[in-house]
Amino acid sequence: MIQPATTGFHRPTLIIGVALFAIAAITFNDARNMNIRASYGMGADAASYFVAAFLAILGVGHLFAAFRPGIEAEQAAWKAFSWVVLGLFGLVGAIWLGAGFILASTLLFVFTARAFGRRALIKDAAIGAVLAIGIFLLFNKILTLALPMGPFERLF
Amino acid sequence: MDSLVYLLGGFATALEPMNLVFAAIGVLLGTAVGVLPGIGPALTVALLLPVTFKLDPGGSLIMFAGIYYGGMYGGSTTAILLNTPGESASVVTALEGNQMARRGRGGPALATAAIGSFVAALIATLGLAFLAPLLVKVAVKFGPWDYFGLMLIAFVTVSATFGSSPLRGLTSLAIGLWLGLIGIDQLTGQTRLAFGVPNLFDGIEVTTLAVGLFAIGEALHVVSRHLRTSEKPIAIKGSIWMSREDWSRSWKPWIRGTALGFPIGALPAGGAEIPTFLSYTMERKLSKKPEEFGTGAIEGVAGPEAANNASAAGTLVPLLTLGLPTSATAAVMLAGFQQYNLQPGPLLFVQYPALVWGLVASLFIANVMLLVLNLPLVGLWVRLLKIPVPWLYAGILVFASMGTIAANPSVVELLLLLGFGFLGFLMRRYDYPIAPVVVGLILGPLADSALRRSLQMSLGDPMILLQHPGSAIMIGIATLALVAPFLFRGLAKFRQDED
Amino acid sequence: MTFFANRLVAACLATFVAIGPAAAQDLEVSILAPAGAGGGWDSAARSLQQVMMSTGNARSVQVVNVPGAGGTVGLAQFVQSAEGSPNQMLVGGITMVGAIITNGAPYDLTNVTPIARLTGDPLVIAVPASSPYQTMADLMAGIEGNVERTIWAGGSAGGADHILAALVTQAAGQDPAKVNYVAYSGGGEALAAMLGGQVTAGISGYGEWQGQIESGDLRALAISYPEPIEGIDAQPLKAQGYDIELVNWRGIFAGPGISDEDKAVLEEAVSNTVQSAEWQELIAARGWSDYYAGSEEFTDFIASEAERVHEVLSSIGLAN
Repeated sequence: MIQPATTGFHRPTLIIGVALFAIAAITFNDARNMNIRASYGMGADAASYFVAAFLAILGVGHLFAAFRPGIEAEQAAWKAFSWVVLGLFGLVGAIWLGAGFILASTLLFVFTARAFGRRALIKDAAIGAVLAIGIFLLFNKILTLALPMGPFERLF
Repeated sequence: MDSLVYLLGGFATALEPMNLVFAAIGVLLGTAVGVLPGIGPALTVALLLPVTFKLDPGGSLIMFAGIYYGGMYGGSTTAILLNTPGESASVVTALEGNQMARRGRGGPALATAAIGSFVAALIATLGLAFLAPLLVKVAVKFGPWDYFGLMLIAFVTVSATFGSSPLRGLTSLAIGLWLGLIGIDQLTGQTRLAFGVPNLFDGIEVTTLAVGLFAIGEALHVVSRHLRTSEKPIAIKGSIWMSREDWSRSWKPWIRGTALGFPIGALPAGGAEIPTFLSYTMERKLSKKPEEFGTGAIEGVAGPEAANNASAAGTLVPLLTLGLPTSATAAVMLAGFQQYNLQPGPLLFVQYPALVWGLVASLFIANVMLLVLNLPLVGLWVRLLKIPVPWLYAGILVFASMGTIAANPSVVELLLLLGFGFLGFLMRRYDYPIAPVVVGLILGPLADSALRRSLQMSLGDPMILLQHPGSAIMIGIATLALVAPFLFRGLAKFRQDED
Repeated sequence: MTFFANRLVAACLATFVAIGPAAAQDLEVSILAPAGAGGGWDSAARSLQQVMMSTGNARSVQVVNVPGAGGTVGLAQFVQSAEGSPNQMLVGGITMVGAIITNGAPYDLTNVTPIARLTGDPLVIAVPASSPYQTMADLMAGIEGNVERTIWAGGSAGGADHILAALVTQAAGQDPAKVNYVAYSGGGEALAAMLGGQVTAGISGYGEWQGQIESGDLRALAISYPEPIEGIDAQPLKAQGYDIELVNWRGIFAGPGISDEDKAVLEEAVSNTVQSAEWQELIAARGWSDYYAGSEEFTDFIASEAERVHEVLSSIGLAN
């Protein structure tokens, strides 16, 4: 599993270590600025200080680990990955712009299928739409739970 | 003896043809909605509550019981097959369950979950019928100091979900604890790490985190390696039923899981997650094949699933005897009682014995129905994995985001879901374990408030934690569990030196 | 049989009301419940939905859940989206008044149009059965003697329960900032602390603890309602000589800048609904008390509540 790195230095581990320090600093700063004090016992800041210290210690641990050979992550298919990411942001964007649940979900379905190498756009869109409409009808009509409305939803 | 007579009377009520129909509808609806990721039993019951409005109290409560248990069953199916736990109590099930499913053993995993849930619910419902008054007396005596002791034990046992590296495991846990800080502190009203975003004031929703890390993170991870490895889960390898070995490895975890789940579920702030963590650790320690853990050990599915379902019956103990809703689901159940002007509480068993025992009896019946419904479905569920990979993952993503949209349709919540998805992807890529994040988010705030409530009641004196025998013993156990491995190692070294 | 008789009356009433003004009949509204499905505001919204439709005061009613931050997330969204809208309503209550103040929310209830106050539930002050305190006067003497050792259990910090504990402490002649109030996630967990004898006294909605009070596991010392309530033995704080009242009220609002005609239509639809036998039956089943007030009275009421709640929250250090 563990392949020795070419240099004796593992960059991802270093980055994670630095990120942990950053989170610890944010948490520490947040705790320092808390203004509601507990009348008795411990305040809400105690847990923040504890977690900040914990994160900082782990950050140190990562700095040490960075100078030892670590696991090299394998090459990723970033293009396929971006299709899914695009689909996910498409979903959020569609809901944000009020395009409704059905359109948003269909978009996500099509983009994800594309990411996995499918090119039959119309067929995938049809499957995604049928799935989304089914879910929408189940929630809105049977369970009376409002999913985001858009032009397609108003047809039902 | 009285209880037995009442219980038989309850069966007579529950076995009426109409009530059987209600139970069957409840079980079907509960399973169908509970299977959707992000929609746990609480939301299932809340959503289906209006459906029961039109029935008489008896029939409605019976349907309720079906929905409740059905929702519990449904959650584990997606956890096992798709590595997408529908609720926090199924997170542990996903650990081993999904590994089994990937190796073509999804059938036995689902079967041991279903039968384990059945056995657990059966024993726990018996416990509910006969031990409830006794158990509840102990449960209310459980003070915040005792909860803190229990949390410490849970924290120590979490290391079982760490995987190979303690540094990476602890980092995962710390991220979970950090996420647990976010939001308004319940005890003082102080806001922590919300940066003025109102949507963060209520804290991070456990289901959003779990669905993001598991479902979306998994999909991103798979797609990033898809073209290279084009790995596809094996739908079925060998029998889809449990082998003789599976049975002999499952039955003890079922019993042990029940023994953990029922009493902890009966505690007013016990919940369903802690017993699943404890059960997983216990099975890992007791297993004859500990090396299989992490690659699909059946004990790791059988124990936690039993614990999960037993705790669901445990939750009904304080609900029916005290009117104490101790989980989100129980709170919704309480609303269900109240719509008929029934106030669960100390008088419920006395005032409406027919109704209560009818409910208990219908829990038994719902349980049997679920087994009958689920075992044949195993074959069908497993076929889900035969869906072509593009559609399978597209479907998972649609369902995963739908759960969040249905529970809280806000853009901020969706962005959080996506953020957790990326986090899950990165953690998989660099081999950080996922489960400790969820564990940290659940246990962190609980431990924080238990400790602070204790100190508030003692006006700041920490000795209160050791003055109560219950908490002193639990803190002792936790310390021992933490120190013992080092001691043993030291001892072994010492002996080696002597040789 | 009385059940069927009631249904019959309700059905007759429904048909009667259905002949009312055409505007109300065709009403299509959506009600925003600023809480998750299953919570208090959600069930208020869904109850109103059910009765508005069954009594024919609206043709269709849809409930939308926007949970978060004591209702202030829902409020903010409502203020932005319901400007001048004739068919959108919002459910809210005293908890929202508190949350607006403690969270420093960008919008408050003056940004929306009050339509009607719907229900108001009493809070109860209780002690465990084993407590030496028999009366409210005993508890007051206890607070006066040792405010820090008088440990309270109740709902989350800054909520109605906490506010009442502060008011009582103040009435006992002690600094409300010193109240030793242990917050729990809801009436259920606080109840466990009471039954386990870990706290001195507790506060909750009366309905939540009714079963334990009737069975004698808890002793109710007082309720916070201004007048005695039929079926509740505990007497109001006011009747016992303490000038404190606090009602956990819920109400319904329309969007900002709504026209007078649209407002009148909504007011009429809600008031007809609330007067129906079905509504009375439903709130009784849910253990709520009718606390109806029309738009004008409700508007003044909110202003005085906001001021009062702000004062108490400042005294306990949760607002500046």
